[in-house]
Amino acid sequence: MVGWELIVVMVVPLVVGLASWWTPAKLSRVLSLASGLLSFVLALTLIPARSATALSGWLRVDALSVVFMVTVAFLYMTTAVFAAGDLRPGGDKRYLRRFFAGFNLFAWAMLMATAVNGFALLWVAIEITTIISALLVAIEGTDTATEAAWKYVVIASMGLGIALFGTIVLYEAGTVVFGSSYEPFYSELLRAAGRFSPELVRLSFVLAVLGFGTKMGLVPLHTWLPDAHSEAPTAVSALLSGALLAVSFYAILRFYQVSIRTLGPAFPRDILLGFGLASLVLSSLSLANQRDLKRLFAYSSIEHMGVLAVGMSFSTRIAVVGVLLHVLAHAAAKSTAFFGAGSVTNTFGTKDMRRIRGGTAALPWSGPMLLLAVLGLSAMPPFGLFRSEFLIVSGGLTDPKDAVAAVLLVLGSAATLGLSWFASQTMLTPAGRRPPSGTGVRGSSEELAPAEACPALPGSPPARSSAWIVAAMATGLGALALLGVHPPGVLSGLLERAARELGALR
Amino acid sequence: MLRLATLWTAGVPAVAPAFSPGPSRYSSVTEAITLVVLLTEFAMLRAGLSRSQVRLYAFQSFAVSVLAVFVAANNGIGELYAVAILAFVLKVVVVPAILTRLLRDAYVGLVASHRLRVATMVLIAIVVSVLAFIVIKQLPIRSPSLPTATMGIACAVILVSFLLVILRSDVVSQAVGTFSLGNGIDVANFIIAAGLPLILGVVLLFDLLVAAVVFGLLIRAHHGRARTLSTETLEQLRG
Amino acid sequence: MAGIDLTPVQIQVFQVLAIVVLAPLLSGAIEHLEGRLQGRRGPRILQPYYDLAKLFRKETLLPEDAGWVFVAGPLVAFMCYLVVPLLIPVLTAYPLPLGFMGDILGGGFILGLAGFVVALAAAQSGGPYAQLGSSRSMTFGALIEPSMLFITFTVALVTTTDLPYFEAAASRASLGQAVRPAHLLAAVAFFLVVLGDTGRIPVETHASTLEFGMIDEARLLEHSGPLLALLKWGSAMKQMILYTILVNVFVAPWGLAGSRALSAVLLAIPVLMGKAFGVGVVFAVIDNSFSKLRLFKITEFMAGAFLLAALAVVVLYLGSG
Repeated sequence: MVGWELIVVMVVPLVVGLASWWTPAKLSRVLSLASGLLSFVLALTLIPARSATALSGWLRVDALSVVFMVTVAFLYMTTAVFAAGDLRPGGDKRYLRRFFAGFNLFAWAMLMATAVNGFALLWVAIEITTIISALLVAIEGTDTATEAAWKYVVIASMGLGIALFGTIVLYEAGTVVFGSSYEPFYSELLRAAGRFSPELVRLSFVLAVLGFGTKMGLVPLHTWLPDAHSEAPTAVSALLSGALLAVSFYAILRFYQVSIRTLGPAFPRDILLGFGLASLVLSSLSLANQRDLKRLFAYSSIEHMGVLAVGMSFSTRIAVVGVLLHVLAHAAAKSTAFFGAGSVTNTFGTKDMRRIRGGTAALPWSGPMLLLAVLGLSAMPPFGLFRSEFLIVSGGLTDPKDAVAAVLLVLGSAATLGLSWFASQTMLTPAGRRPPSGTGVRGSSEELAPAEACPALPGSPPARSSAWIVAAMATGLGALALLGVHPPGVLSGLLERAARELGALR
Repeated sequence: MLRLATLWTAGVPAVAPAFSPGPSRYSSVTEAITLVVLLTEFAMLRAGLSRSQVRLYAFQSFAVSVLAVFVAANNGIGELYAVAILAFVLKVVVVPAILTRLLRDAYVGLVASHRLRVATMVLIAIVVSVLAFIVIKQLPIRSPSLPTATMGIACAVILVSFLLVILRSDVVSQAVGTFSLGNGIDVANFIIAAGLPLILGVVLLFDLLVAAVVFGLLIRAHHGRARTLSTETLEQLRG
Repeated sequence: MAGIDLTPVQIQVFQVLAIVVLAPLLSGAIEHLEGRLQGRRGPRILQPYYDLAKLFRKETLLPEDAGWVFVAGPLVAFMCYLVVPLLIPVLTAYPLPLGFMGDILGGGFILGLAGFVVALAAAQSGGPYAQLGSSRSMTFGALIEPSMLFITFTVALVTTTDLPYFEAAASRASLGQAVRPAHLLAAVAFFLVVLGDTGRIPVETHASTLEFGMIDEARLLEHSGPLLALLKWGSAMKQMILYTILVNVFVAPWGLAGSRALSAVLLAIPVLMGKAFGVGVVFAVIDNSFSKLRLFKITEFMAGAFLLAALAVVVLYLGSG
């Protein structure tokens, strides 16, 4: 129960992030890699532990936190690898300095969010992730990037304001048991939850879903997401889609944990179901409409968040295990997809899918891996997302709400169509065919005029698919496949324990 | 009618009904301060110059600090004094100074950034505030530290700050709207969680400071690209 | 002298006479003060009396299209202004018999009637500026009505009656009642209503006749002679009545006669004048400090007054304050 791992995880990324402001880019790359690797290894060592505490209770992880911490740490590691390859030193020094400092601090804040004990600190950590990521979204400095960053920070801050209100209401609910001044740690609130006033807990849960749901991308609070995820640099997009959305979901789960103990399962599940279905419907319909490559993946993230919310609304343990597995698998798949997208846009100089042809020819390694990632995102076997969605749907079918599970399947298939269209158009169509919009673009991919150039790192040669990028994508795909084919025993044990903590007993 | 007739003939002055002593002075004063917070929010809806909005925010934060002192004095919560002083320093002095400094580079004309006419916005805001009151009335929130009407007022402040962000189309209004949302939540905090441990209060305040810096940087970036403080130009990303 | 008691009827007559006689004095005092604030010597304090006397001696000219309404308007308005002092606490703290004839709504109705007939008379005159003034005053009058209503509701919620006497009594009952937020909000809202109704900055320029901004002043342009005198006297009386309601009901309901003794009643008169003049000072300072709002922006002003009145009601009704 010694929590030294937690303390290391707390200190190292913070130090690296602050140091990156001064160290040269080469050193920052190495430090980030080391930090990412260390965090991931430490997170893995926490998997078998029952729980771990540090700093006299301010940091504490249980099975639920470890699931999310593993997610974040894994993405930290792979994005550090990607960033090492994507951003060759020799580029703009100020940009690199800001990027690496921000990147490490962002990862630190997300790790903190999973490691802190108590609702108030959870809110603070997520607020820190918001403001750091807003700066990272704006880092490219284009008009659209500034626009996306501004929308993101305003909408997310408002959402977090509501979430803070919800936290305060929950605190008030606790004063009945603990008196007017106490630390709102998870375990204590959980133990006393049965004695809280139902109306207050109901209000706090709704506010928490509205507030943290804004950060998670639940419809109709998602309007910032496609912009922010598509305008950020690729590494940041991967972290945003894979890790930050998951951490926001984690916050909702903490509120869910307390709420079902006070209110019973019905009310929280209905709320999550409503938002989840809305997310699924809107994102599936929007997927077919996308021209911009990264926006496509952003909408796919919204869809998967919808799946998570709907999955939590099913009351069986299988479904909850599926949800947690989905978090892990989605992180792996989405990051790989974004890495591939980054490669593609760097190679072709544009994010517009209508202008990209012959991807597999131009990118012999990352091209096919991107295709595999897209297949993974469409929940094809043998990848992890197939397993998780299978678990969720079967959990839903044993529940009286099987109609909803059927809807889930239908909408998921619609999303698959959108993604598959992309894949066939851009990656498999050989270069040389005129794109249907007939803008007079000449045949071979090298001569494509970069109309909507995704700004590659200013002043550096476009990184096509360096070994680092390939390595990062391979790791992601490998993890995805592992989760799909045969999740390790300790991991399954962890997921089961986390599901039990969330109150799913059957 | 009979009573009137007897009065007329008898010429005896009628006696006024006996009044209860009314709400306590503490209750009235704190409610009045909370109302000032709400009225400042409405003033921000109308304010034309970005400078005035920042000043209004400083004034609103000052009112919130005064309220904190009152609550601390009446309920004997020593830690709240420290929070009040820190809040005063950060929210009345530092954050407006940051915003003003970043605005100095920007050309601050009379940014006509109202999406609707002022009177319409005020009417909508009144409706929204009444909604907030009605919703809060249904909940069993009993506050040990402040009169119950203040909870409705705090909720109204929160909702009107949302309107400020939605109905004004310039970056400073939106930033000030987000910060005044924080003020509304602070008031709600005093009402229901006055005993929040000191360390959490301090952390929240410093978090606000960092957020203000980030907002300021983004405003500067926006102004740098677009040469205006208006958000009318932020229409490129759609779908 | 000290021990004489007046009958209620006599006190009511006193009330009306006080308003009728002292209204021009108040008007003159405020104008003199305004002149001083602007660095001039200012007109004589008794100037309005001289003006009225002069106007009563002049002949009446009627425009070609004017009918009986043109003549009757000023007369009816003057009579209304004679009735309203019966309903409000002017000199006494206790309600007088005729005071039950109408509550705040009734008083507001009669004041509105006066404004209505004056506007009608101006409209019938056929002169363009008069018609401009009458249409503008009707429009803005209609816009200020909701605020007035909500103020009435506030009074009703606090005292469970509608009578201005009892609102004053509530304020006198305890300091807690006097500073309760709803009462303060209603007081400020009523202040803004008075500002609008008496045609002061920022709604209208009291001192001159700018055609871009004239609202109430324009209605008087076509009348002459005794009719004009009655109109001017009426508007001075309306100003005093509104100030009286503001001080004696909302802001400072002290210093009113508590008994029927003649000395008490006589003492109440200078107290009333003093308080009304105090309000006048505030208005004069506002006149010289702010600029007039554009006509279209007056709706913002009205919205502000409505906001305060609505908040007063909401805070009372849905909260506890």
